[in-house]
Amino acid sequence: MTLPPDVWSVPLALRMALRQGGFSLDVAWEGRCRLLGLFGPSGSGKTTLLEVAAGLRRPQTARIAVGDAVLRDTSAGIDVPIRERGIGYVPQDSALFPHLGVRGNITYGAERGKAVPLQPILAMLSIEPLIDREVSDLSGGERQRVALARAMVSSPRLLLLDEPLSAVDVPLRRRILESLGDWVTMARVPTLHVSHDAGDLQVATDHVLILREGHLAGEGSASEL
Amino acid sequence: MRSRPLWAPLLVAGLTVACGPGACAFGVDHSAQPPGGPLRVSAAVSLTDALTPVARKWEAVGNVHVELNFAASNVLARQILEGAPVDVFISADEAQMNRLVEAGAAGRADVTPLLTNQLVVVTPAGRPLSGTLPSALADAAVKRIAMGDPQGVPAGVYAKAWLESAGLWRQVEPKIVPSNSVRAALAAVDSANADAGIVYGTDAKGHAGVTIAYEVPLADAPPIVYPVGVIAKSPHPDLARLFVAYLQTTPARTVFADAGFVVHDTANAR
Amino acid sequence: MTGELLGIIQLTVLVALAATLVMLPPGVALAWWLARSRSPLTSIVETLVTLPLVLPPVATGYLLLRLLGRRGLLGGVIDRIGVDVIFTWRALVIAMVVMGLPLVVRAARAGFEQGTRRFEQMAETLGAGPLRVFFTISLPLARRSVLAGALLGFSRALGEFGASIVVAGSIPGETRTVSLAMYGFLETGRDGDAMRLVAVSLVIALAAVWLSNRLVREGA
Repeated sequence: MTLPPDVWSVPLALRMALRQGGFSLDVAWEGRCRLLGLFGPSGSGKTTLLEVAAGLRRPQTARIAVGDAVLRDTSAGIDVPIRERGIGYVPQDSALFPHLGVRGNITYGAERGKAVPLQPILAMLSIEPLIDREVSDLSGGERQRVALARAMVSSPRLLLLDEPLSAVDVPLRRRILESLGDWVTMARVPTLHVSHDAGDLQVATDHVLILREGHLAGEGSASEL
Repeated sequence: MRSRPLWAPLLVAGLTVACGPGACAFGVDHSAQPPGGPLRVSAAVSLTDALTPVARKWEAVGNVHVELNFAASNVLARQILEGAPVDVFISADEAQMNRLVEAGAAGRADVTPLLTNQLVVVTPAGRPLSGTLPSALADAAVKRIAMGDPQGVPAGVYAKAWLESAGLWRQVEPKIVPSNSVRAALAAVDSANADAGIVYGTDAKGHAGVTIAYEVPLADAPPIVYPVGVIAKSPHPDLARLFVAYLQTTPARTVFADAGFVVHDTANAR
Repeated sequence: MTGELLGIIQLTVLVALAATLVMLPPGVALAWWLARSRSPLTSIVETLVTLPLVLPPVATGYLLLRLLGRRGLLGGVIDRIGVDVIFTWRALVIAMVVMGLPLVVRAARAGFEQGTRRFEQMAETLGAGPLRVFFTISLPLARRSVLAGALLGFSRALGEFGASIVVAGSIPGETRTVSLAMYGFLETGRDGDAMRLVAVSLVIALAAVWLSNRLVREGA
């Protein structure tokens, strides 16, 4: 375990088995999570894993728990509905609501739980000037940053990031990822970060799980990749 | 080869001559029919149930077969004007018969008023109206009254004329549910969706779902006349006149009266 | 155009508008449910909703008459409450709603099936309940199809004849719509007035269908 014991973290249980067509995902991991990375080639099941955690995919068996909250446990019959899981999900395609504008998107989840201060997040992601724009006016990188802001503002219990800043150029991306780490610690939001970029993972994560063909093939610190 | 008897072609030739050129102009092959028939009678729809047994009775006493054609009076009049081979026409109102007379299709002397119908007020079986008719039609409790469309259906035109003369039209008009036909009006009353209806007595009689609540006295109602006429171009005018005379005899009048028609007393009028 | 004809047109448009407003909520709700549901009930509901499109309108009218007439299944109850339905504007609205609803459902369903799912899921992850998802995500994204459906339902209501003549009759000033008046005028020889109403109907129908097609095409 590469996370030092005095750093804040949350126990995370990720167990799931999913079989659909020719594809299968079989993962069992439990450990402490602050900034957990997920690394692997395309098709290894990284996105599917996130979708199962978010509740968007139905596995055959699963046990997913964040801290004290059990989100899914097929053996115990627990299946928390998506809207109550408290997941901040940032998919690869951003999936911004096309009709709501930037402000509408970012504040959409803000009603849930505590009021999160907007300004620091907008500043961290350098999107303050975009706040009044329409989604269709944004570039790919801008969309990704807005999607990330949307997830953060919804005060999630667990943040799931799927290649969240791939369209953002490297220098800005690295800066954001560093600030994200500080925010995660301050806000106490455990984060699961999927990426195929080892450099990103080095900046952004404490510990990395390696996924290959639907199985956990190893784990370690990002520098070991 | 002798496949047919010798006299067959002679008979055909003889009949062709006997029928005359007039009949052939209608495009009908009269040569194959027994001399003097059939008698073609066009009559208004409301006479369907009553006229058929009368015609059969006439046939039963040794007379020629009667072919009956029932339709709306204006449709029948048009057919006759266009040359249909009709011998006798019975219309539901004088207007249609007058069309024929004016066009020369029927002689004025050959037209006689035959029947009268009676307007009645009907109510759904089991749901009588409180209050005396006909003034009860104006009560607030009577919300919808079914009758033929007063803008065109003869029964509706008659009904409106009666209501106007009874001083009820203004109050009753907003409640009218105009129907295409008397049968449709009856159906509306039968299903109790209309609180009352104004129809012919002949149509209401024997209709189990409605009760005749008021018979409009003939003196109060506008004259409803069913005239009968012999068509000028009839191929059998004498036969036609015989039939018309039969319609006014007692056996025929009994059938009409049983059906609810009021028979015109022409014996005294002549 | 006389006052009588204008009155007929006004009555028809007002009642058709009312019928459209009545048919929209259940139509949109049904469309949304049919687009989402995996239940075996779906095909039964689908068939029932499509029925008025396929049955001869007069047959639908007779079914409604049996149901809502004073001696009918529901009608008896309604009559005891003291409400008149048959041969009133209420029956006219019901006939228009029954005949127009299938069109609303078909058009709106297409809108709900065109890729709103992903956004609905995202909204759920952000904590929105089903009602909030429907009103803030599903409906706005499908609005063009819903509007197209409303237009079609309105046009159908305007032109309704077969069912309405059976349950509502053609009562001048109360249920005599443009279609029913046209028929009556033709029967009683008022051909000129009938043709004037035909012209009005043509214009309204063309406008509604053209607008509806524009909406669907632009949304795609």
